[in-house]
Amino acid sequence: MFNKFFKNMFKEKESKQEAQSDSASLKTKSINNHLHDKRLISPDKAKFISEIEKESNNPSDLKTKFITEDYTLFYIENLVDSRVLNKHILPVVLKNPYSSPSELKFQIQIPEVNMTENLELAILELFGGTALIHKNGYPTVLLAKVNTRESRSLSAPENESQVIGSQVGFNESLSTNESLVRRYIRTPDLYIKKLTVGKISNTTVSILYLKSIASEEMVQTLQQRITDLKMDALLDSSFLAEMIDDNSLSPFPQMLLTERPDRFCDGLLNGKLGILVDGSSMAVICPHSFIEFFQSREDQNLRWPIASFLRLLRFSAVFLSIFLTPLYVAALTFHYEVIPQSLLVPLSESRALVPFPPIIEALLLELIIELLREAGARLPTKVGQTIGIVGGIVIGTAAVQAGITSNILIIIVALSALASFTTPSYMMGNVIRAIRFPIIILAGFWGFYGIMLGFCFLLIHLIKQTSLGTPYTAPFYPPRWVDLRDSIIRLPLPLTNLRPTSSRAKKRKKFEEEPIDPEKS
Amino acid sequence: MKNLIHVKPQHMINAFLVFFVVHTAQIGVGIHGYQRIIYQESKQDAWISVLLIGLASHVIAIIMIKTLEMYESHDLYGINREVFGAWIGNFINVIYVIYCLSAFFLVLRNYIEVIQTWIFPLLSTGFISATLLLLVIYTFLGGLRVIVGVAFFSFVLAFWLIFVLVFPLQYSNSQSLFPILESNFMDILKGAKAMTFTIVGFEILYIIFPFVKDKENIAKPVHYGLLVTTLMYLSVILVSLTYFSGEQLSKTIWATLSLFSIVQFPFIERFEFLAVCFWMLIILPNLCLFVWAAHRGLTGMINIGPKKFIWFFSGIVLLLSFIIKSRIQINSFNNIFAQVAFYIVFIYPLFLYVFALVKKKLTSQRRGT
Repeated sequence: MFNKFFKNMFKEKESKQEAQSDSASLKTKSINNHLHDKRLISPDKAKFISEIEKESNNPSDLKTKFITEDYTLFYIENLVDSRVLNKHILPVVLKNPYSSPSELKFQIQIPEVNMTENLELAILELFGGTALIHKNGYPTVLLAKVNTRESRSLSAPENESQVIGSQVGFNESLSTNESLVRRYIRTPDLYIKKLTVGKISNTTVSILYLKSIASEEMVQTLQQRITDLKMDALLDSSFLAEMIDDNSLSPFPQMLLTERPDRFCDGLLNGKLGILVDGSSMAVICPHSFIEFFQSREDQNLRWPIASFLRLLRFSAVFLSIFLTPLYVAALTFHYEVIPQSLLVPLSESRALVPFPPIIEALLLELIIELLREAGARLPTKVGQTIGIVGGIVIGTAAVQAGITSNILIIIVALSALASFTTPSYMMGNVIRAIRFPIIILAGFWGFYGIMLGFCFLLIHLIKQTSLGTPYTAPFYPPRWVDLRDSIIRLPLPLTNLRPTSSRAKKRKKFEEEPIDPEKS
Repeated sequence: MKNLIHVKPQHMINAFLVFFVVHTAQIGVGIHGYQRIIYQESKQDAWISVLLIGLASHVIAIIMIKTLEMYESHDLYGINREVFGAWIGNFINVIYVIYCLSAFFLVLRNYIEVIQTWIFPLLSTGFISATLLLLVIYTFLGGLRVIVGVAFFSFVLAFWLIFVLVFPLQYSNSQSLFPILESNFMDILKGAKAMTFTIVGFEILYIIFPFVKDKENIAKPVHYGLLVTTLMYLSVILVSLTYFSGEQLSKTIWATLSLFSIVQFPFIERFEFLAVCFWMLIILPNLCLFVWAAHRGLTGMINIGPKKFIWFFSGIVLLLSFIIKSRIQINSFNNIFAQVAFYIVFIYPLFLYVFALVKKKLTSQRRGT
């Protein structure tokens, strides 16, 4: 109930427009998305200037330039590339002072020149880095795209590092990111749909998919969810991913955020949908099942037995990370009986001086580790190294000598922290670490029974989730035996020839085997 | 034909998932201590009783499927109304709903008792039943897909427990199985009947049938499910018979848990502490399926939404768990339930099948003339 309410807050149910597949009409639609105003451009020069100044609130960086007697040029100084303006726009207008705007449109030699009669669109484009060219007596305006394309140069993905494989990550420019994807997948089949999100920010969002593979129904659902969003500004893709999730109240992410173009393309090739947001270096892949969060792109680059081993290792690390400390707390608080005698002696020796009950001891230590991790993430890299030393000395030696914690607990906590860092997705790794705390508390109060309560709750919760309408626990439940070949293990490539069922791909097979010509052999 | 159940395709389940449903609906708290009950009747031939009741469950399953196929897209409640008319049909349905709810309550109460006896003697009954009920509510509100999912994971994650029985096998003595067939046949049958409480659960088939996507393939998973259950019970009883002496077995209430208690790993001893808590995962599908079946029956008679139903019902169970407290009360409730369950699960399907057959013949004759 609460969830529904939460979603309705942000979604506009009324604006359920039929999505069109035709790209041209879609583009105008997406641009016109926010246009409620049907005011037209005034043909009179002086009137138009005053209109523009009024609508744009006459900012200090708005430049109005009278090129000839009739032609006026408007642009935002900081957004346009003055070299293009000087080389391709001004000379052309000067050379043809008497031609109409529609004639002029073909004279200007830059990739994107459009015409419009709508005043609001003209203003919107002006703030997108477009120069407006107006001629006295004509109710139209030329929109010449002369914006600057400043962006960070491509660098290695910092949060998803990989030993073997490509070392390039997305950056903040949408066009660069799209070009990166295009470079990996060179086919006309790669389809890019543009939408605009955010009443104030007017952010461009691209949905990418392979037209012959991805399910149309899913594209429609995703597009509907994005266009239904009602928000003022969209600054990052992670925010978008959370808003269009199936269940925004769950701690578990249902869409993958990645900064790796190869991982992104891998998803597209499996029939999934990708989302790129202008200004965000993280791309979104959906639908994504729970188990796929623990797969790394690197697994495809390693030999299959090694890849399978690493995946099993990572997956058991999840259990270790969530349940190891709670088990220690439960066993030491309630169930001394389950500890074998030979283990009981070192345990009680190390705990002999500790003044706290196990739950306080464990929570304290887990909290310290989390603080260290968080401090490490916030500090600049140069100072960050200090954290390691502080952590090592304070926790490793001093805490034990002071008698606050036991040696064995330190091993356990360090182990579970280490295990949680093996998760290839940062978002999922955070969840794994966070859900440990409620389970430690459950274990501290009700022992193994409390741990099982937590475990069952987590299990039911995971079964309940969906990602873009597909089951989150796939391919385990509902069981898809074929998909299990590429889940917690990875079998050799010829055996994993099928795309996952949950992406509902139109073509199930990744590649058709060539029929062998009997005459040749 | 107003009782037809129309299920949307996305709410349907694949036939092979019925395997997990049938199996997990059967395995529950009964397996903790059924050995004593059978042993009292058929002594060292208890394993024959287990085999017999397992065989009977297969026969009943065949009859059930035959009845269901006669009325396609009906569940038991619909068939009852169809065969006996609205009044008598609904009366039987009410009995069946009460049966499901008392089965739910018994599973819960028995499990609480096990927890209190083995692990937390001081943990209050109210707390345990409230926490378990919350889990059931959370699952139930997710619908059949989630309930079947819990059943599936319950099987997959708990199946390994059976292999732990290798440990007591080291100390077992096969001589105690002999002489075979010392008890007379009536005693063996009585032993089989005494196992009713442990083996029931597969009657969920009656209710889940309309929700199965490929109904023509349902027989196989059902019988495999029953077979795995029977084999599991058989292996547990064989291990128990050979591990315990007869005297011991007739005095051990939770023989299976006693078997677990000698299991030792290098990092863990007294395995039953873990097993008893882990059992939560095994009884969870039990509880969810029974309450789901009861809700299916009630919605056919009165208009009650799942949310209202589950909260109301959980409140009643919570109250009941305070009332029925002592071991003697639980035991007598168990016995009464086992008696009634035998007739509902093993006799009534035969009765219904014959009636449905006769009725079908009569109506087709009437139409023919």
